[in-house]
Amino acid sequence: MASPCELLMALPQERKKQAEQLAHLAAKEVWRIEETYSRYRQDNLFAQLHRHPDQPQRVDAETARLLNFADQAWQLSEGLFDITSGVLRQVWTFDGSDRLPSPEAVKALLSQVGWDKLHWQSDAPTTEGEVGGGWLTLPTGMELDFGGLGKEYAADRALGLMMQQLEADQLPFSSQPGLLVNLGGDLACSGPADKGKPWRVGIESPAEDDQTSGVLEISCGGLATSGDSRRYLIHKGKRYSHLLDPRTGWPLEGAPRSVTVAAPSCVQSGLVASLALLQGSRARAFLQETGLKHWILE
Amino acid sequence: MTKKLDKSKAPLGSTLAAIGCALLQGLPNQVQAGELEKWDVDAAALIYSESDSRVQAAEPVISATRNFDSETKLNLKLVLDTLTGASPNGALPSDQPQTFTRPSGNGSYTTPAGELPLDDTFRDTRVAASADWSAPLSRDWLYSVGGHFSSEHDYLSMGTNASLSRYLNQKNTTLTLAGGASLDTISPEGGLPVGLSPMAVKGSTGFSSDFAASRSGSEDNKQVTDLLLGVTQVINRRTLMQFNYSLNLADGYLTDPYKLVSVLDQPGGTTQEYRYESRPDSRIKQALFGQVKYQLGSGDVADLSYRYQFDDWGLNSHTLEFKYRWDLGRHYLEPQVRWYTQSAVDFYQPYALESQVNAGLDEVTADYRLGDFDAWTLGIRYGYQVSATQEAYTRLSLYQQTTGDFSSATTPASGDDIPDTTAVMWILGYKF
Repeated sequence: MASPCELLMALPQERKKQAEQLAHLAAKEVWRIEETYSRYRQDNLFAQLHRHPDQPQRVDAETARLLNFADQAWQLSEGLFDITSGVLRQVWTFDGSDRLPSPEAVKALLSQVGWDKLHWQSDAPTTEGEVGGGWLTLPTGMELDFGGLGKEYAADRALGLMMQQLEADQLPFSSQPGLLVNLGGDLACSGPADKGKPWRVGIESPAEDDQTSGVLEISCGGLATSGDSRRYLIHKGKRYSHLLDPRTGWPLEGAPRSVTVAAPSCVQSGLVASLALLQGSRARAFLQETGLKHWILE
Repeated sequence: MTKKLDKSKAPLGSTLAAIGCALLQGLPNQVQAGELEKWDVDAAALIYSESDSRVQAAEPVISATRNFDSETKLNLKLVLDTLTGASPNGALPSDQPQTFTRPSGNGSYTTPAGELPLDDTFRDTRVAASADWSAPLSRDWLYSVGGHFSSEHDYLSMGTNASLSRYLNQKNTTLTLAGGASLDTISPEGGLPVGLSPMAVKGSTGFSSDFAASRSGSEDNKQVTDLLLGVTQVINRRTLMQFNYSLNLADGYLTDPYKLVSVLDQPGGTTQEYRYESRPDSRIKQALFGQVKYQLGSGDVADLSYRYQFDDWGLNSHTLEFKYRWDLGRHYLEPQVRWYTQSAVDFYQPYALESQVNAGLDEVTADYRLGDFDAWTLGIRYGYQVSATQEAYTRLSLYQQTTGDFSSATTPASGDDIPDTTAVMWILGYKF
């Protein structure tokens, strides 16, 4: 994970040891998720899934939950949120230059993009809503990309495991500390730093010419930002954002530079922020519709 | 199977919530643990019992807070009081049986020789309701507005209040300015007694005209204005300090319409008659309050506070209180000790002399609550965290008020003749 990560815990000095245990637990979980789903490794679950195209493969419960999430997000966004769109990176490089890909190259890749082109069959959930696994068939040339939700998922998981540990430790209830996980700007938080005192989080302004950074307050829940001012192309005076429409393979127009959303969990924040950006010029209206707290940078 | 887009979507908010929960299956998450409870309810019952069958009170209280976000909330509170029992009527014990006309003028009651005269007609039900709204004005400003209403058969109170708080130093300092105003209407049983008029004697020939002469009108009112200036300072991660100055102005009818004063022929002599008490019609109270809360490494909290109150009636009081909250996992224990002392108002005397009355005494009270006394409160609170959002608690406290001898050149009295109060208070409550 190539971004700064931090853990904040409102614990007194005397409980340093416990803080260290929690930090260890959280870091281990983040590394585990990174190792499992990174597309830069050859020896992980992710690589294994891509090694056998066109064959039904059994996936574990966690992967099934992630794929179900991706499926629902795809439905919800009417095809805009698509974890198979990562292959478009082969022709698009958002380095601030003016190098646009040729329309033919983009078109050629589109046959490998589309959630509706792969076959995913989740096991039926139990009465408790638990899913044990599922069957996935990835057509040749198609690639999954968990980058759009992995960091948010890891933040929620890390926080959840720490909270579970605190519960198991049967701490005095009045001293349940507020915890905050920050994975490169994607936050998950269990409670305020101190009674009634929210955590104050600096959010780097995405505008490259703006050195100031905003300070947001978060007491509980998730916070995620989508959008990146440093990834774009400028061709003949027109700015192309790094956000690609998986249906056309071309950048979306009119989207804000960045959207930050506060939702009950980090994955929800991240999903809403992504979905909002994918709405292009409708982003603001979409965010208002969700009723969630949000910050938009045009 | 190929995926088809489903156009018949559920509302965005509910769909998102469902998705997030499924993904984090099996883990506690911030949604469950920390999501702002929309409603916080505290339901409690208080039982107050004074010794010697004096005042007994039962008081169910329900307080509900609707949280809109971490700083915006509406609090609604409803209290129902039932008071029964007897309360000292102000007269001094005597070596003769004493007969008193009831405040209504209908009937009388007799106190045996040597006993403290208690008015046993004391019975009332009070309903009180209040609403308070507080919300941020901006990142550093918070305001609140509220109102209250309280009604008993002889008393009605209505008021409003408002406050403005300013956060400084990254919310480590809070300055508060608060104000309140209320208008109370007093309509005593039997009408308003004329201050220092003689109590009409039931069964005497001129009772009707005497009783009528001791009354003027059926109701009166008082206006109360409150002002508070406060500063709360976070000293460090463990220590919090608070200082307040408050001003309370009361104007109007401040007399207790049911209190009498024994009139004696000479200091320590024999009771000749009873007069109705009379107090000034304005009072300015001021108070200084300081509090330190300290959290120990174990999670325990020590809380020390002191209040000095003084007014233009000459009453000064000091309150010193210490509480210690012991954290025992899901349980806690909180012992409390409070010491209170006050000096009497200038016009307090346990009884009056005939010579004083004849010389035109115009302000007097023998109400022991305005006299000199010391009081101790010892209490213990126990709480049990039933779940993350539910707590059951109970508190038992003992109150002991003692009065010393009243030393005075004109109206000296033994402390034995001035009422003391011993009371037990028990609260049982549940927060959810």
